[in-house]
Amino acid sequence: MILKRTSIAIAVAVLFLALVAGLKYAESSELIGPDIAKRTTQVIVGLMLAAHANLMPKDIGRWRTSALAAARSQSALRVGGWSMTLAGLAYAGFWAFAPLAFADVASIVVVASAMVITMGYGGWTLFTCRI
Amino acid sequence: MTAVFKALADPTRRQVLQLLRSGPKSAGELADHFPVSKPTMSAHFAVLREAGLVDSDKQGKTLMYRLKMSVLEEALMEFSGLLGLDLSQRAEKTSRSATLRKASTK
Repeated sequence: MILKRTSIAIAVAVLFLALVAGLKYAESSELIGPDIAKRTTQVIVGLMLAAHANLMPKDIGRWRTSALAAARSQSALRVGGWSMTLAGLAYAGFWAFAPLAFADVASIVVVASAMVITMGYGGWTLFTCRI
Repeated sequence: MTAVFKALADPTRRQVLQLLRSGPKSAGELADHFPVSKPTMSAHFAVLREAGLVDSDKQGKTLMYRLKMSVLEEALMEFSGLLGLDLSQRAEKTSRSATLRKASTK
């Protein structure tokens, strides 16, 4: 299982690097403009984030003995999964359609906010479980 | 994906998934919410387990269930519930076209 997941992750990384190299080549050969190369790369980054976060709630791990801990860990994974998936889609959307200067700032803000929500909620659930 | 569509097509199974959102529950606790027989509930649980939407564990004499849904699967469940879509028809159509594709390649 771990080997399969690692192989898939490596294959996706190689594909991503090959695509970026291809875009760089196309840009240097003046086949596409510099904006297109940057936008395409960032859209793929956003979609990869969304795809990865989509599976976050499925990665539930071992069964816990405490029902409260199990419920809290499940809800933390769901909140994290939803916020990071939506952030990834918004990131891709900004880079696909918004003006470059706006996309530059908005994409970072949206992902940073999702990270704050994920970690904040995760920290809160951990804290309330230990009380 | 066909198994997921099939699992989400039934309102009882969707309701089971919604109940599991608040945390893991025993098979008995879940069955108490529905006016159906135990074998029917077991069949629903089996479909959900096969689709990979729930995870089960035997704790002593109690069979516990917990949610194991991706964001996309949860969104699909919400949409099918909201729009009242019959995903079973789509699932059947997909499996039928897959069978036809297999037959034509032979």
